[in-house]
Amino acid sequence: MKVSELLNKKRDQWQELDRLCQVMAGAMGFSRRRVPPEIVLRFSQLHRSAIADLALAEAYQLPPDVTEYLRCLVARAHSQLYRRRSLSFRGLLDTVFRVLPQKFFTDRCLWLAFFIFWGTFFGSGLYAYYQPGFAEHVVGEQQLAGLQEMYSFPAGSRPMGDDDSGMMFGYYVFNNAGIGLRVFALGLAFGVGGMVILLINASHLGTMFGYMATTEQSGNFFHFVTAHGPFELTAIVLAAGAGMRLGFSIVYTSGFTRRDSLREASQTALPAIGVAVAMFGVAALIEAFVSPSVLPYWVKAAVAVLSTVLLFLYFFVLGWPRKEQGEVASD
Amino acid sequence: MSTTTSEQLETTILLVTPENFGVTHRVAGPFLRLAAYLIDFAIRVLFLYAVLQIVMSIFVAIGLEGYGVGLFLVLLFFIDWFYGGFFEGFFNGQTPGKRICRLRVVTIDGGPISPLQAFLRNILRFIDSMPVYIWVIALDKFIPLCLYQVGLWAAMSNPRFQRLGDLVCGTMVIFEERHWLRPAMPKPDPLTIEVASSIPPNFEVSKSLARVLAYYVERRHKFSPMRLYEMAEPLATQLRAELELPESVGADRLLCALYYRAFISDSQEQTQRESLVIQT
Repeated sequence: MKVSELLNKKRDQWQELDRLCQVMAGAMGFSRRRVPPEIVLRFSQLHRSAIADLALAEAYQLPPDVTEYLRCLVARAHSQLYRRRSLSFRGLLDTVFRVLPQKFFTDRCLWLAFFIFWGTFFGSGLYAYYQPGFAEHVVGEQQLAGLQEMYSFPAGSRPMGDDDSGMMFGYYVFNNAGIGLRVFALGLAFGVGGMVILLINASHLGTMFGYMATTEQSGNFFHFVTAHGPFELTAIVLAAGAGMRLGFSIVYTSGFTRRDSLREASQTALPAIGVAVAMFGVAALIEAFVSPSVLPYWVKAAVAVLSTVLLFLYFFVLGWPRKEQGEVASD
Repeated sequence: MSTTTSEQLETTILLVTPENFGVTHRVAGPFLRLAAYLIDFAIRVLFLYAVLQIVMSIFVAIGLEGYGVGLFLVLLFFIDWFYGGFFEGFFNGQTPGKRICRLRVVTIDGGPISPLQAFLRNILRFIDSMPVYIWVIALDKFIPLCLYQVGLWAAMSNPRFQRLGDLVCGTMVIFEERHWLRPAMPKPDPLTIEVASSIPPNFEVSKSLARVLAYYVERRHKFSPMRLYEMAEPLATQLRAELELPESVGADRLLCALYYRAFISDSQEQTQRESLVIQT
């Protein structure tokens, strides 16, 4: 048989495969359309026969342009056939509420981030409280003056419309969650990058807290920061811990190659950063709508206690190491 | 896909899949990716500007200006950090800019990337984009300019041009080649068929000659007659001597006839067609 006849015979098949590639590609992603099974079956048949044609291209003496076309067609079909499952909602819930807390609890990087942050925070806070002049060195006089001015009004007394809360909510998400993601990304610098930026943040925050406690605006200040504190600060620690897990996995590979160790670490780091962003979102909601409001202090304190309890439940109760029935130990 | 093996020659990666056939991909270099990045950047800026105008006009009209700004800032955050992850995760590894530049993010096995990989490689973009140069236009206006030096150096230090985010996720950016199937093989004219019939029937077109002929004939319509002569003559001189054909057979004609012989006609079919030509 001559090449031209062969081509005429195969052309329709190849073009059908080409068309089905587009059908499969279109059904990906958000669209709920599923590809009917008979089409998938047909697709894999055509894919196999196209592979066979490509393998025999040399023997058939196909012209080089046709071989090239076939090569690209088969490659595209291949990437449609082998695809990752996309995110499922139930799987996500399971990851967030069962798998992740367990991993967090045993994650030494997260504990390290936790102790670095709170240690530095309280240390610099105490120092700023008892040592006049320390805060000026760390934070700078200008910023301190700005801070004092910011809290010179009691919460809720400022001529602040309801819709300013909406604006501030946006700002808090944009700014604070952005900081969290940056801390996370910097963790990749062998873990040290994340550690440094966490130290800087913790010492600044701690110093501001300590300093403000000595000023006459301390009432207003704590009135504002109490409610959203737990979620926001935990989210920072979580983001930094996830980043450091990435960075340290390059250094301490526990027997894997560096690349595999990094990829393994990224499996938990990414969901963790997702949880951190969600926490920043909750913190921003509280910070925008509860913290600056006229509600009495005990309400805000109750919000803080409630968030602390929720966080405790998540990290310690859900995270407490346990064996589940029917679960493979190596999971 | 653990059975996938790969080897690389310059920017072309050959992946051997479980079906035991080789897929070749071309890895995309930094400059192609820069083009896609700039297109995406422009799309983001235009989109945000449009949203700002629409949202603000709506929210100002109902008198909730602050909520408008808040909504915009939330959107700004998500577009800033998740634009690439969203598109690459749910549209098979392509942002609009990558689609225009025909780039695609795939795993290093050549498979499609998962949404998790897509989001992670785009969050880690922050560290790749460093250092960020703050460009002060007026006194209080800052324009952050990402210099992408970390990403560039990381990409230059490995054969697949992976930036740090790609290294973590095990992904790479490829340039998607696409070839079109010619609607039909070039049709010969009667004169060519006549020349083909004068070629000795026992002459076998070798594989390498067939390839050269295919390259020549499928592209000959793009060249001027003089250029065709220049390209075809050296080969034709040799073939004429071998086939004992007269000088008067043109070089271009001879190669077309051989192409016809190699790919289109059967010797039996040839005689049938010959009789057809004679009848008409």
